[in-house]
Amino acid sequence: MVSYSEELLERQNQDGGWRYGKVGSSWTEPTCYALLALASGEVYPHNAAGSADPAARAEAMRRGAQWLASRQRPDGGWAPRDGVDESTWVTALALLLPSSLTAGLDLNHASQWLLEQTGRESGWVYRLRLRLLGARLDPTQQFDGWPWYPETAAWVVPTALTLLALHRFNRPLGDAHVQKRIREGTSFLLARRCRDGGWNHGSTHSLGYDSDSYPETTGLALLALRGATPAELGTALDVAEKHLHETRSLESSSWLVLGLLAQGRSPSAGSVLPHEGTVAVALAVLAQAALQGRNLFVS
Amino acid sequence: MSASVNLTRRQWVAGAAGTAVLTGCGRAPGQLAPVSILRAPAYSEDLYGLMRRIIEEHHLDVRGKRVVLKPNLVEFDQNTVINTHPKMVHAALEAFRAAGAAEVRIAEGPGHRRVTLDLADSAGYFSTVPQFEAAFTDLNLDEVSRVNLVQPKSKLKSLYLPHTVLGCDLLVSMPKMKTHHWVGATLSMKNLFGLVPGGVYGWPKNVLHWAGIDESIADLHTLFPRTFAIVDGIVGMEGNGPIQGSPRPMGLVVAGADPVAVDATCCRIMQIDPRRVGYLRLAAGEEQLHEDLIPQVGEKIASVAARFALLPGLESYRLAS
Repeated sequence: MVSYSEELLERQNQDGGWRYGKVGSSWTEPTCYALLALASGEVYPHNAAGSADPAARAEAMRRGAQWLASRQRPDGGWAPRDGVDESTWVTALALLLPSSLTAGLDLNHASQWLLEQTGRESGWVYRLRLRLLGARLDPTQQFDGWPWYPETAAWVVPTALTLLALHRFNRPLGDAHVQKRIREGTSFLLARRCRDGGWNHGSTHSLGYDSDSYPETTGLALLALRGATPAELGTALDVAEKHLHETRSLESSSWLVLGLLAQGRSPSAGSVLPHEGTVAVALAVLAQAALQGRNLFVS
Repeated sequence: MSASVNLTRRQWVAGAAGTAVLTGCGRAPGQLAPVSILRAPAYSEDLYGLMRRIIEEHHLDVRGKRVVLKPNLVEFDQNTVINTHPKMVHAALEAFRAAGAAEVRIAEGPGHRRVTLDLADSAGYFSTVPQFEAAFTDLNLDEVSRVNLVQPKSKLKSLYLPHTVLGCDLLVSMPKMKTHHWVGATLSMKNLFGLVPGGVYGWPKNVLHWAGIDESIADLHTLFPRTFAIVDGIVGMEGNGPIQGSPRPMGLVVAGADPVAVDATCCRIMQIDPRRVGYLRLAAGEEQLHEDLIPQVGEKIASVAARFALLPGLESYRLAS
């Protein structure tokens, strides 16, 4: 894990945030995943003498948390990066961070922003329009999920990540409205399974044709559906293990490990492509931590 | 924002003007650039020579310029032909390098899958293009600037767009010749959806769907009007394109400096009426899509046309015989 750890720290920008690739400016998504990976305790920076350097890790986390706190928007959410004038799905990622990193964040405001977001297809305007046109609502559209970007439809990844965030945020609160959104979101994910039992981006059936699942979305959906019954999950776990055997993507295999572990399986990943982005490296660290019993997405 | 690139409007306009010169913008108003219809029976070594021929025939002077090749990478399914064949892209890469381009990059922002390199690997890009990763930019995660749309056809007022394409001298759209279950055909103009960054808008780029698909395609064409187009029609897709259709061997490469003319020609080859395709009408108007207004080089449409299967409900797109 040392190579992933060192790579993660090297990708932190001067401003405290993290970039997606080897060069570039800071984005909210890689910053959140990098912070979560650092918080897992699996990242061991080394000093000149080759010894573990906890001070360097603490400083990287402090600077990253500061970057994130300074980017929370007046509406409570986060934009994907500086220069983008819209809060989006990345807001959920901030709520996934442990309390040691969120001192400067207004989490209540952030969760409120998330709860205000719905898939556009679940709004009354869209449903009234369908009714006036004589069209029937697609059964998979009856549940309320979350969009990537405001005023668009709900999809699997933002719904899964927001479920993870709300589970964490609401645990001490037990708010009824939050519970309702969590139930709806869970139903959304279960309704959006592909014909093979896994998940793709969220379009499972179009114009009479079925679609197949992707590895990364299958892993993430399984992680978000922790607690679902075997009957609800159907063949999803077997599909995930098949994906894990076949994928060469570090990001995909990490999501699959996280999802399978959350569902009680004991996964083992195969060989992967080298040199992927910051998100993949951070997820690899988080998957390693989960294999050692510390799944930061659900603990 | 360390390492960020601030693209000013002046730089963007200058880049667009450079592209206009590269792709023969000096034509009289109303005159469309010629479209080459070339035989290419297979994804063979012959493609390298074919790409050099296209560059020469269309007088693309790319010496010292930055060229971006934009293939169509969507999903991978070993049972069909969704993506631009990597041999096409590698042949273009080599040809533009040989023509003196200062830099040639391959760039794409897939609309469904976030794990772009995994997709490219499955589609054969790593095994076909040496040092593929070094030549590739994931447009979904690239640096972005907001570009305002002047008189948009869609509901969009602006779009965040990647610096790799905003700053290049020549954008080369390299789609696959496919039918499309919503807009009739997906070719060089629809391929521009892949420029819109998932890192901002998500996977899929659903904001374009709600703003109007045909209209968004027309808006992207307005932003990148002088894109050069090279269409992989060696094996196209018919039926339920762009993902679940069936392979349709055609043995063709279609190319030209005017995406409207190239796409209209491809539609006729597929026996789809370009005047029924919403984004072509929006971009050029029905009259501009008349076959006689588009100069053809190489094969005649009539000699290569084939009736691509269309989904039930899309018969209105069919070109009258």
